[in-house]
Amino acid sequence: MAKLSVNGRAYFVDDEPDTPLLWVLREALQLTGTKFGCGGGHCGCCTVHINGEAMRSCRVRLGDVEGGIITTIEGLSATSDHPVQKAWVELQVPQCGYCHSGQIMQAAAFLTENVNPTDDEIDVAMRGNLCRCMTYLRVRKAVKLAAEIKSGGKL
Amino acid sequence: MIEHKLSRRSFLAFSGASIVGGALPNQVASKQITDLLNPASPIMLPANFSPSLWFTMESNGRTNVHIFKAEIGQHVGTALAQIVAEQLCLNWTHVSIDYPEMDHNTFGKYGGQITGGSYSIHEMYGKLSKQAAFARQLLIEAGADLMGSEYEDCLADQGHVKDTLYETEISYSEILSELVLDYAITADDLAEAIEIDRSNFKIIGKPIKALDIPEKTNGAARFGIDAYVPNMVYAKLVLPPTRFGSTINTVDQDSAKEMPGFLAAVPLSFPPEAKSQGFITDVVAVVADSFPNALRAAKATNVSWNTDPKYLLSTGDLFENAEKQMLNEDGSDFYKIGEFDRVNSKIELESTYRTGFVAHSPMEPASALCHYIDGELHVYAGVQGGPLLPFILSQFTGLSPDKIVVYPHLIGGGFGKRFEVEPIVISAILALSLKKPVKTIFTREDEFLLSHPRSLAVQKISAKSTENGEISGLKHEICCGWIAFNDFGLVSPLENGSPISALPDVQLFSATGSDNWYDVPNQSVKMHRNKQIEEMTGNRAVRSVANNYTIFALESFIDEFAHLKRVDPVDLRLSMLKGRQMNSGKNAESLFPKGISPYVNVSTGAYQSSIDGGRRLANVLRTAAGLANYGGLLADGVAQGVAIAGAEERTNPSFSACVADVEVNAEAKFFQVNKLTVVIDLGLIVNPDGALAQVEGSVLWGLSNGLYEELTYANGKVEQTNFDTYKWQTIVGTPEINIKLLENSNYPSGAGEPATSIIAPAICNAIFAASNVRLRELPITRERFASAVAQANSGD
Repeated sequence: MAKLSVNGRAYFVDDEPDTPLLWVLREALQLTGTKFGCGGGHCGCCTVHINGEAMRSCRVRLGDVEGGIITTIEGLSATSDHPVQKAWVELQVPQCGYCHSGQIMQAAAFLTENVNPTDDEIDVAMRGNLCRCMTYLRVRKAVKLAAEIKSGGKL
Repeated sequence: MIEHKLSRRSFLAFSGASIVGGALPNQVASKQITDLLNPASPIMLPANFSPSLWFTMESNGRTNVHIFKAEIGQHVGTALAQIVAEQLCLNWTHVSIDYPEMDHNTFGKYGGQITGGSYSIHEMYGKLSKQAAFARQLLIEAGADLMGSEYEDCLADQGHVKDTLYETEISYSEILSELVLDYAITADDLAEAIEIDRSNFKIIGKPIKALDIPEKTNGAARFGIDAYVPNMVYAKLVLPPTRFGSTINTVDQDSAKEMPGFLAAVPLSFPPEAKSQGFITDVVAVVADSFPNALRAAKATNVSWNTDPKYLLSTGDLFENAEKQMLNEDGSDFYKIGEFDRVNSKIELESTYRTGFVAHSPMEPASALCHYIDGELHVYAGVQGGPLLPFILSQFTGLSPDKIVVYPHLIGGGFGKRFEVEPIVISAILALSLKKPVKTIFTREDEFLLSHPRSLAVQKISAKSTENGEISGLKHEICCGWIAFNDFGLVSPLENGSPISALPDVQLFSATGSDNWYDVPNQSVKMHRNKQIEEMTGNRAVRSVANNYTIFALESFIDEFAHLKRVDPVDLRLSMLKGRQMNSGKNAESLFPKGISPYVNVSTGAYQSSIDGGRRLANVLRTAAGLANYGGLLADGVAQGVAIAGAEERTNPSFSACVADVEVNAEAKFFQVNKLTVVIDLGLIVNPDGALAQVEGSVLWGLSNGLYEELTYANGKVEQTNFDTYKWQTIVGTPEINIKLLENSNYPSGAGEPATSIIAPAICNAIFAASNVRLRELPITRERFASAVAQANSGD
């Protein structure tokens, strides 16, 4: 039995300690906003925050995150109005949307470190988040817009 | 005095007071019943007006548009709802969409609703527009009646019927609270429908925000892989050692039985006819109480297989075989104008082009949840052709189609992959045999190993010319695996615009694009069907389908010919884009393959989208050249190349042109795409921002296909199993992209695919212009570029 803190709630789960956090979130906790994409940490669909840092939940074992503070897309903002979410809606970034839980979590963590990123810095931060609909042009614009919203500039 | 033509008072069946009696109109959407279970949902309101299959109006003033197309990222529900809202004169905030469940009746009522071929808006626009326009006329009549006004004095605006003479108004909500309009629009009615003209559009042509986007930013969106029913169990597949051609010998589950949560290891052997068409392959499904447990148990399951050695081929063998086949047979006619063979001049240029396999690889791995309960099979999945599923699953399960219900889910990327039914068939069989709800999930490795790639293609093009350098004859040969779905997509070959065989016997979707819009008086397109590729790979339709190889070959060849004749490639193209004869696009109706309807049952009038095709292509090319400052001064080492296409098909064309600015340093074996300028004529555009997003995606998809993507086989098995080995475009290195949508009042065509095919040839043509290095093989990997440079140097 492992104790997890997810989106401000405590959960007890009885999965094996080597179970990837991704599947614990999706199946045991039914937090399906975090997506399974590749299982190998290559695509970023499953990105969550662990102690504020963006991590690939498919590569994190349950046994390794006990006591950690986990935030998923469902917990990013109670009212879905995190600056990144607002920017994503404003610029109509998602197409199929499947990778965007991960894109948003990656961008949200990135913007806590870099409040005014350049295009190149955005590319480096977001390079591990693949999008097969190829929404990259809008992702780049939306990260910039989110940075502006965060600093009180827009929306 | 104007006569009141719409005398349909009989539809004013009964007043609001009588609703209590329960005499509801024939259609009560199941979603409303489901909503009763949601304590947050408002009181269920009767659907007071269901004049059409496609939308329902409620007495609270809300209009629900029913979407049967799949949401695969194109926000199709929003665009279809815009068409309805425009013609019904609704206030957009009162519009919602739903995705009804589908059963054995859906196909008959709504058609195949195939979500592919960039057909959705093209197929549905005219139907929805006319149905909604006539429904508006009925509402005006009802409103006029309630206000005591004359019909002729009334108009509809923002969800109200307004009497322009007495300046009174009544809202649709008030009308539908007073009355239940029991009326279903007939085919005859549609002839009387008066559609609102484009110049008065308030909702169509506006960048309305997609209704499905907010839920895609907060985790609430439900994709097929997120489907849930209580007590469901999970299946992980154990795959054969080859894509096809392996059968199960023994299954040893002794170790699996020791694993936590293990339930069963089920060998699934399918009949040869299902396998030969590439529908499905033999697998062992390992079922457990959670997906991680299914993964563990699958690892512990030992399966031995019998493999037919004829399936143990590799990509190199398949290319070699295709090349030999093209040399050794005449091929089947696909498209013919004049007589290429009788053109009295020698072949001046002949080039061969090779393109590799490409995977769909959507971000959401395939999955399906099936639940067999009370004699009915319930299917929770995302599919690109939902109405067909009850019939397909019936063949695999033996259940009657009327015992199968499909609940559509969002799709995490289709690109053609979600026409495939493997996970659904497997879950259905497991649900029936295990008497439990079963969700089958493909891992990324399964997704790659069970690829249905775009076929490799070997193509040869030859040209003859007149004395003054015009192309007088063009011959295009295509050897590839056909996307085989029995009759689906088969067409009669065309000669001078007319079918020349009684039986449809060539595959449109494997050659489209080669039936080009150039005014060349003698043309011959020959197809060579390579069944070895089909049987070994189960090749299918991937975004923009054949266009991605036919346009690459054709547009590269036109460029080669221009350089041979020392004319500008843009000038050469424009000289052949006068829209003569067939290229006027006037004959599109006769070209539409009969085998495709009713799967794609396009609106009457949809063929208008082909009108003036040749000249519209010239127009986009000129516009792109202008936007890109074609022929202007460029930086050292940078050159421009162009390509055009009328994809997807001649009956559903969007006219696009690309100018690529590419920097080349052949000595350093370096090239870089700096800029892509793309102009696309889509006809009427329903949602410009949605269309733009589709074109952005397709341009980058074309770039990715051109530069990176290649699926290969070794000994009958896909070699790339995850994103570390199957490389494609990331956010890094995207060039500057300048897209211009050309809008006009022509009937709309599709936006999701057409621009993909022009990117790679434009890049290759730019590379040649910069360096005299001609690339005739895709993708243009660094290695391939380096070897082409070496070859060009050795030829000097």
